[in-house]
Amino acid sequence: MSSDKVNPVAPALDRADVRVRHDAGLGGAVRGFIDRVRSGDLGSLPVVVGLAIIWTVFQSLNPVFLSSSNLVNLLFDSSTVGVISLGIVCILMVGEIDLSVGSVSGFASAIVGVLWVNAGVPVVIAILAALAVGAVFGVVYAALFNRLGMPSFVSTLAGLLAVLGMQLYILGSTGSINLPYDSALVVLGQTLVMPAFVSYALVLAAGVAIFATGYSTAARRRAAGLTPPSLAGIVARALAFTVALELVAFYLNQDRGIPWMFGLFVGLVVAMDYALKRTKWGRSMTAVGGNREAARRSGINVRGIYMSAFVLCSTLAALGGVLSAARLASASQQAGTGDVNLNAIAAAVIGGTSLFGGRGSAYSALLGIIVIQSIASGLTLLDLSSSLRYMITGAVLAIAVIVDSLARRSRVSHGRA
Amino acid sequence: MSNTSQDMPPAGEPVLSLRGICKQFGAVSALTDIDLDVHAGEVVALVGDNGAGKSTLVKVLAGVHQATTGTMTFRGQPVTLAGPNDALALGIATVFQDLALCENLDVVANIFLGKEMQPYALDEVSMEIRAWTLLNELSARIPSVRVPIASLSGGQRQTVAIARSLLLEPKLIMLDEPTAALGVAQTAEVLNLIERVRDRGLGVIMISHNMEDVRAVADRIVVLRLGRNNGIFYPDTSNQELVSAITGAADNAVSRRSGRRQAAQHNVTGEARA
Repeated sequence: MSSDKVNPVAPALDRADVRVRHDAGLGGAVRGFIDRVRSGDLGSLPVVVGLAIIWTVFQSLNPVFLSSSNLVNLLFDSSTVGVISLGIVCILMVGEIDLSVGSVSGFASAIVGVLWVNAGVPVVIAILAALAVGAVFGVVYAALFNRLGMPSFVSTLAGLLAVLGMQLYILGSTGSINLPYDSALVVLGQTLVMPAFVSYALVLAAGVAIFATGYSTAARRRAAGLTPPSLAGIVARALAFTVALELVAFYLNQDRGIPWMFGLFVGLVVAMDYALKRTKWGRSMTAVGGNREAARRSGINVRGIYMSAFVLCSTLAALGGVLSAARLASASQQAGTGDVNLNAIAAAVIGGTSLFGGRGSAYSALLGIIVIQSIASGLTLLDLSSSLRYMITGAVLAIAVIVDSLARRSRVSHGRA
Repeated sequence: MSNTSQDMPPAGEPVLSLRGICKQFGAVSALTDIDLDVHAGEVVALVGDNGAGKSTLVKVLAGVHQATTGTMTFRGQPVTLAGPNDALALGIATVFQDLALCENLDVVANIFLGKEMQPYALDEVSMEIRAWTLLNELSARIPSVRVPIASLSGGQRQTVAIARSLLLEPKLIMLDEPTAALGVAQTAEVLNLIERVRDRGLGVIMISHNMEDVRAVADRIVVLRLGRNNGIFYPDTSNQELVSAITGAADNAVSRRSGRRQAAQHNVTGEARA
């Protein structure tokens, strides 16, 4: 075959095409980043910019805003809705939605209150029961979606009301159950923070892990004859990450320190990120969100993927509900109502997970919830009424969705989908 | 690749035989009593007009649609395909007309979709190497396997879809319009590839509207018309016969058009002489 000419110096397998510019080194990384942003692949850039603006505005209005103690509070508050938002990331990945996460979280907190405080069941069992009930709601939504073709928008909207009804029913006429203040659960939700050295060690370990995975990937690619990413880039990224987060940890340790509840949330985010990016399940989730029929024809169990997404979303919503009960030291009729639903969804979208499916990252829940809670905390510090708070949060959500839609249009026209 | 016509492998065991396959979509009979045999080391071309049922037949064989009635025998065993997974597990690979690629995933992810290496810790390096090997076998012109499919051209996407079908070392490959979006060189590569696959003893079913391509590689040409078998032909059949089998009449739009053109040419040459 005449077309298989072998070049005298064969380039690496992935460098054979002369038409492609290959960005190497630090300069290349910067150039590639600018290219990506200009074509609409924004990643987490809108969050970083948004956060900078929000923090500047609130800090100039009230100097307490960026104080260590307020930021520690902010992390406590972020963890509860953040866990719910992580579930929303899951369901948005497959292009569906769950509007009932707020009600499910409220119901879960009510279950914990009723079983643990009223019925005297051990707290661990009460929590497991709440999570199991959350999973059951996910199974119901998935069955309605898979078997009856009921749009998730409608089924979960119905669920929002029905589950809220169940919450009111099991709480009964008392309306609110106080959780014991000295219990481990409430301590976790209200006061438990990492010792300073633990926080520094965890950040350092994360930095080392980033470097180690980057380095081993580069080594494997080099051994396999593919071009490896530049070592300087890996070192720079790991170093920047470590230094930045050590400074944040240092600043937070001036006050109480980093809450363990926030540590739990970040742990879940990292685990979810691994599952979405590095496992077959995560690949299937992305594929189903991108092109359902193509995924089916590739032999992916599409119904199973939808099932896993709905169940994970509801279960994480239930876990978020348990954590918020711990945070408030009570299970009340108000738990999970109001803006919980919208905050969870808004956080995922603001963080960069697309409403259109097939695009997103677990980290968007983490970044997005910090934005949302910053707004909430800033407005609370300014002593504004909840009417203004709702309006401003609504406007931020609208802006986030507009950015998502515009970026998507730009990606399509730049061929990045 | 030049002298394959002289030492053609004898048509081996039937890989696939269909008997009396019917497929109904509500009131519409898309396929009626379809019989089809594909032998090992044989290229069967499936031709027919738009709406003849070619793509439906391919989807039935790929497990995407389920036949209403009829029997399917694959390598001597009667089989039923409840879903795409069954077909893939048997060794039936399909390149669909719409390619069925996920635009938001990159080339490697698409090639390995549903068959990823190491499900709990994806082996990206090995997958990337295998992807490059497959693509280079097809002489593909893909700038990078780490770009999303959305940024590739139609021909590049087609190549990716074909590379994906070869990943699992199938026994039977079905290509629905494999050359429709391809350039001259890539078309030749795909035809070469079909011959290479055939010479390895696999069965190939190919749908095409391009009679030149069909004639170039097919060992048998099966004509479908309005969802029914309408004859089996061989590459030495004249165009006239094929076209009338496809359209169902000796007097058809194609023959009238060519008749007009011949008459016009005759007139032109006649005038030039005069």
